[in-house]
Amino acid sequence: MSFVEVQDLVKHFRTKYGVVTAVDHVSFGIDKGELVTLLGPSGCGKTTTLRCIAGLERPDSGDVLIEGRPMFGQGFVPPSRRNIGMVFQNYAVWPHMTVAANVAYGLKIARVPRALRMQRVREVLELVGLAGLEERYPAQLSGGQQQRVALARALVRQPKVLLLDEPLSNLDAKLREKMRFEIRRIVKQLGITAVYVTHDQAEAMVLSDRIAVMESGRIVQMGSPKEIYHRPATRFVADFIGTTNILEGRVEQVNKEQGLVSVITEIGRTLCRLPNPIPVPTDTSVCLSVRPEDVEVLTHCSELQTNTYQGRVVERAYLGHLLYLFISVGGTQLRVQCHPRLQVEEGQEVYVYLDPERCVILTS
Amino acid sequence: MSVRQGYEAGAGGRMSRPRLFLWHRAVRSEIVLSGLVWLVILFFIVYPVAFLVLDSFRIANTGQLGFHNYKAFFSDLYYLNTFLRTCLLSGLVLLVTTALSLPLAYILARYKLRGMTFFTALTLLPIVLPAYAGAFAWVVFFGRFGTFNLLLMRWGLISKPLNLLGFPGLVLMQSLHLLPFMVLSLMAAYSSIDPALEEAAEVEGASGIRRFLTITLPLSTPSYFAGAVLVFLWPFTDWLTPLIFGVTDLLPTIAYINIAYHFTDVTRRYMGIVSVVIASLVCVGSFLLLKTWIERKRYTGLSKGTLLGGRTIRPRLAIRIISYLYVVFISMLILIIPVVLALSGFSRRWVLTPLPRYWTLENFQLIFTEAGRLVYNSFRFSGVALLMGVFFGLLMAYLLARTKAPGRAGLEFVNSLMLVFPGVAVGVAFLRAFWYGHGIPLATHWIIMPLALFVRRLPYFLRMAYAAYQQLDPSLEEAAEVAGAGKLRTFMTISIPLLLKGIFVGIIMFFIMAFQEISTAIFLYRGGWETLPIGLYLNWHRGMEFGIASAMAFLMVCVVFILLIIAAKIGGGILKVAWGASGRD
Repeated sequence: MSFVEVQDLVKHFRTKYGVVTAVDHVSFGIDKGELVTLLGPSGCGKTTTLRCIAGLERPDSGDVLIEGRPMFGQGFVPPSRRNIGMVFQNYAVWPHMTVAANVAYGLKIARVPRALRMQRVREVLELVGLAGLEERYPAQLSGGQQQRVALARALVRQPKVLLLDEPLSNLDAKLREKMRFEIRRIVKQLGITAVYVTHDQAEAMVLSDRIAVMESGRIVQMGSPKEIYHRPATRFVADFIGTTNILEGRVEQVNKEQGLVSVITEIGRTLCRLPNPIPVPTDTSVCLSVRPEDVEVLTHCSELQTNTYQGRVVERAYLGHLLYLFISVGGTQLRVQCHPRLQVEEGQEVYVYLDPERCVILTS
Repeated sequence: MSVRQGYEAGAGGRMSRPRLFLWHRAVRSEIVLSGLVWLVILFFIVYPVAFLVLDSFRIANTGQLGFHNYKAFFSDLYYLNTFLRTCLLSGLVLLVTTALSLPLAYILARYKLRGMTFFTALTLLPIVLPAYAGAFAWVVFFGRFGTFNLLLMRWGLISKPLNLLGFPGLVLMQSLHLLPFMVLSLMAAYSSIDPALEEAAEVEGASGIRRFLTITLPLSTPSYFAGAVLVFLWPFTDWLTPLIFGVTDLLPTIAYINIAYHFTDVTRRYMGIVSVVIASLVCVGSFLLLKTWIERKRYTGLSKGTLLGGRTIRPRLAIRIISYLYVVFISMLILIIPVVLALSGFSRRWVLTPLPRYWTLENFQLIFTEAGRLVYNSFRFSGVALLMGVFFGLLMAYLLARTKAPGRAGLEFVNSLMLVFPGVAVGVAFLRAFWYGHGIPLATHWIIMPLALFVRRLPYFLRMAYAAYQQLDPSLEEAAEVAGAGKLRTFMTISIPLLLKGIFVGIIMFFIMAFQEISTAIFLYRGGWETLPIGLYLNWHRGMEFGIASAMAFLMVCVVFILLIIAAKIGGGILKVAWGASGRD
């Protein structure tokens, strides 16, 4: 059993317009020391899931087990008894207390002796890079510093689980990028189990050991950042994480020995690698996802091989580190990323090659 | 394991099952707390009001219930006329107030003029001044042989004194008293309109008066009506100003006279009770109408009640001069009140001269030597009421803002109804419900006085505490819970310190309002329980001697003013503080 188990969680909210299912039978596990991100657009239920783990929200059914102990099923365990740390979206740093008092608050409640308390506060402030600001009040701190106070406060009790609810969304872009790495460094250094909620896919990719992508209250895919990016399970995941080309088509033939499927798509016959867990019967309609950087552009081609198509450059944007092209293939526009030194002009005839290994069949 | 199974058994089915966790400890305590609050409400609000309403249906001779009293009320020309005249007064007051406040609010909210903060504070002053203080001052200044008439006669502008009191004077006086409520509502509306909306109209070619009429005014209608209802129902609750002005055929006044002086005359007593119930119905009815209307038509962030910047304009010179003249004129009318009270309070036998001749401290000496008890009573009753108010106010604010305890909507509803419920009605209801014979004989103990003040003034404190709570980010409290603090500890170490400012302003406003309360107290006091406002009224009533009454009124104005300044210092500005007090009787 995992360190933290979320089991079949369901949560409804009553709003003016009726009952909304915020979390719809969500289950997943988190191993000890693992950093899992709940990723999805706003309103997908990721924050509600996190708040259920914290005990700030009570699910309608389902349970959360921390170290095997049910948090709801055998009597509600209030947040104050769960030994968790939490970083809130708006920091929630208490404005009437100094930095040191903010951080020491939980230790005081746990009756940690004064000397040890002071030492722990000092250590954790050092860890988050706030040494020397102990006696400041939150109003005297920048947004980034308040963020660090919130992090220090969440870490100081050495909680079993650290919960982070979009902690970086109120910071400016530069700082946000810096803090991603810093949060990962701190969490990994302490070996703490953490759940991180964000709608920013880049943040999730940088931070996570595993990502759970959520859509309308359900987890649609869970896996390592690499898996999520290169083997998206659904059209939603492929679309939400990075950009992609979606080709709709119909399965023509399945070659189990070579592990290849041939699909008739809008642009012609396309071969792709047989996805391992999912069986694709002949003649079912499927979607293919091909990332823009996985499309190869050839200016010359002697003869059209498999997965090579003729097209025309419709639009061309030079971004410095890469060249972005829209290539029309038989009426379908493909987004393509290629090397900035590639010599193509708008309106030029080109050939594109899709590597079967990089064409992913999506379940719709 | 059985717990878990039973728990899962219900899990797969349909929605609407938040009840599953209803009996967890925290939730259970919420239900207990809200039960406690409801008990207080039932006993001190619902029970007396129900008693009053039932009483109005009681047939005097037989003791049975029926519509007899109401039929008698509306078939008696005198009472019917009273009702109609009250409606007329309301309409006229609303008209005059609207005409005065539309430009005033615009000037104060929009024009960037020097000294406008000062004038704003001055125009809003009547919100915390008791209406009867203003009425006394007006009688002295605008009476038949008051300063105004005497000066006009001396300068040869008139030969006979004008009658500036009576019904027309009453319209003006009440309008002036209500002006700040309307100005406050309109200012809030004007300054919460997104400047871009008006700029867009300007870009489209609408300018000046047209922009005001097509954009600004329609956008402020919900706020206007919120203020208008307060104005409209005031003549249905104010019994003392008409009495001082010599107008008695109005609903609240006739109710007061009938019940306070003719209690043994069964017919007049029942007519009085019916008058009170009808006045309350008008108040509650117009308030409910407004509520449903506003909920359908909310453009701006009305409910917030905060004053944002809004758009400010630097007008032309001519408009600037007119604005100043207008603002100064209104300010003068308001300034008359404390100035006249002071003059009258520090003098003796001020008659037939524009200014007093004999200056003396005698009135104040009398208050403190012979009537020291009144001051003591006022502080004692208001203080005890305040303790109850803070305890229940905080409890209710917590339940409303932070829990899902059942019946929260009902709590809020009762609270807002109490804001518009006439003080006379509360007084009569308490008198009937807590007197010997029929009800619980609570009215024989002095505790009834602070209890009545508590019931009447709780809504102001609750409003401020609730508003403070709503501005407090819940995650600040959640962070404490996650850090290991229980509900009570979170409340004490996080919520209370952060709410302190709002609570403190609420405490001061509660005290100001309780200190000057007379409408309810006048029905409940017995010998030895007189408060300062009651003493003031009795002094005026007994001897028509204005000296002591004015001195008392001046004293009250001073106490209120000092408290107000403290509140404004803490609460961050007079506007915020005034908002909390608006909507009172």
